[in-house]
Amino acid sequence: MCAILDNDVAYQVFGRDRPPAGVAFRRWIDSRRGQLVVGGQLRVELGRNHAFRLWLQQALLQGRARSVNDREVDKRTATLRNAGVCRSNDPHIVALAQLSNARLLYSNDDDLRHDFGDKQLIDRPRGKVYSTKQSNDFQESHRRLLNQRRLCVR
Amino acid sequence: MYEITLENFRCFRNRQTARLAPLTLLVGENSTGKTSFLAIIRALVDVALGFRNPDFKEEPYDLGSFDEITHRRGASGGRAKTFEAGFRVIGPKGQTVDGMTRHFSVTFGKRGTAPVPVRRCFSMGSTWADECFETGQPYILRIGTYRGSWEKKVPTDAAAGFDLDDDLLAPLIHTLRSSFSKDEQKQDRKFIPMSGSPAFNSEDEKLIYGLLVNEFWSLAPLLFASAPVRTKPRRTYDPSRLTSDPEGNYVPMLLANTYFQERDKWRELKQRLEDFGKAAGLFDEISIRPLGKRDSEPFQLQVRRFGARLKGPQRNLIDVGYGVSQVLPVITELLRPDAPFLFLLQQPEIHLHPSAQAALGSLFCHVAGSERLLVVETHSDHLIDRVRMDVRDKTTTLRPEDVSILYFERGDLDVRIHSLRIDEEGNILGAPDGYRQFFMEETNRSIGL
Repeated sequence: MCAILDNDVAYQVFGRDRPPAGVAFRRWIDSRRGQLVVGGQLRVELGRNHAFRLWLQQALLQGRARSVNDREVDKRTATLRNAGVCRSNDPHIVALAQLSNARLLYSNDDDLRHDFGDKQLIDRPRGKVYSTKQSNDFQESHRRLLNQRRLCVR
Repeated sequence: MYEITLENFRCFRNRQTARLAPLTLLVGENSTGKTSFLAIIRALVDVALGFRNPDFKEEPYDLGSFDEITHRRGASGGRAKTFEAGFRVIGPKGQTVDGMTRHFSVTFGKRGTAPVPVRRCFSMGSTWADECFETGQPYILRIGTYRGSWEKKVPTDAAAGFDLDDDLLAPLIHTLRSSFSKDEQKQDRKFIPMSGSPAFNSEDEKLIYGLLVNEFWSLAPLLFASAPVRTKPRRTYDPSRLTSDPEGNYVPMLLANTYFQERDKWRELKQRLEDFGKAAGLFDEISIRPLGKRDSEPFQLQVRRFGARLKGPQRNLIDVGYGVSQVLPVITELLRPDAPFLFLLQQPEIHLHPSAQAALGSLFCHVAGSERLLVVETHSDHLIDRVRMDVRDKTTTLRPEDVSILYFERGDLDVRIHSLRIDEEGNILGAPDGYRQFFMEETNRSIGL
């Protein structure tokens, strides 16, 4: 099961004061039920966080994280941007989802949530968003998302 | 060779299969059977391709006697009476020969205190040979071709004339009736057709001969098995007879012989060694310093680092870091123009700085391929990560499928081998939960997560 972590909420997963929903997401990755996908601009953004960089190095070696070719992601990002099909200013995340087939996004960005729900952009299976905008607690909706089986088509 | 099968061997109880690739890295905690795995590869080469009885006490793998080698479950679980191993092999270019895979399996039983083969099976396509030679029992050879299958039983008294090494040639000896003298042919027991097969004829004989000789015997590779600790460097070496050993005692002599007797080969080897020395930050130049005018006189092995402007002094091997002398046997064998086909290496990174360990990973990527198979037991993250990155970045001709990571995971009382792969992006595929768990926990602790 593959997931993408928006840089804006990375502190909720890799920061010191993590909310319960962030802790549960990390636990999901650590249990190997989930796998974090990185590539392109998102890798650069997340990599500014030293703790994340150290974690990613180990996670890639361990198979808990999956790397997608940066050039491919950048190319797809440019295509999406030129086509003007994304509402959000994060076409690199949509591009990563398209290329990696990861279908779960951890983000609180409304525009990105819209893009992830846009069938023209992400389909088969549809994208799902794990958000803490309403509550930082680990709620039933979060649990259901992490129990989804069709979050990654490889 | 690309798949090894084991059962009841050392710490491996259940039958399991491990994938070998041109570059195979064996990883896992201490005492999880990595060295035993290297030992069984050598034994398989001996018994299947060399038609020799393997010596499980031969250095660098001293596994002891049969009782130490066969799997033991503890007091109540008892000890297995036999252990098995086998492999599937493909052609030298990586393609199967005529679309067919060669299979071999062997069962070892106990004779005295030593393990000896009691059953061997060779097969390729519809041609196969299956033999049993248990002590006190008739020697039984069953063979098959596309035409049918046949059986020959040789009573123990008739088989007793063979010594152990001859025994391993038995399927050849018993199949090649046309090479027998007339008297021998009269005495020889014929193959009895099985399951309504036609009579055994010369075509079947050729097929079985082709199977045993062309598909197995002729493939016996030159092999280099290194010891985990290599020989200590000496200030001066006295010329001696060149005798290979796992510790690499012979390597200075090998280098000196090449220097004195084969100058072209020496220049090529020296260049390759220096290329690695530079990449690893170990030395820029390596040379032989004769202490006399003749090649029969003592010599020294020297290395040198180059500064930005000046070349540094020549320094004796004993006067530089221990890592240089420890890695020298491994890289010399890897880089010599007539390098062996199969390398079984134990911790080649020992005493090397992480940057040199990584350079060793690149060297492995460079030399491994269809002409050279490397099986490397390692605890070096730097080496493994460099391999992963070189394959991802295509700085090597190795493709992802040319690398196999075998993770030896200790279970309750036995060990399971996981065959991990890497993909085009260098991602690790097929890792079980326990893989690198320790490292992740340490990292999480380090970054305060």
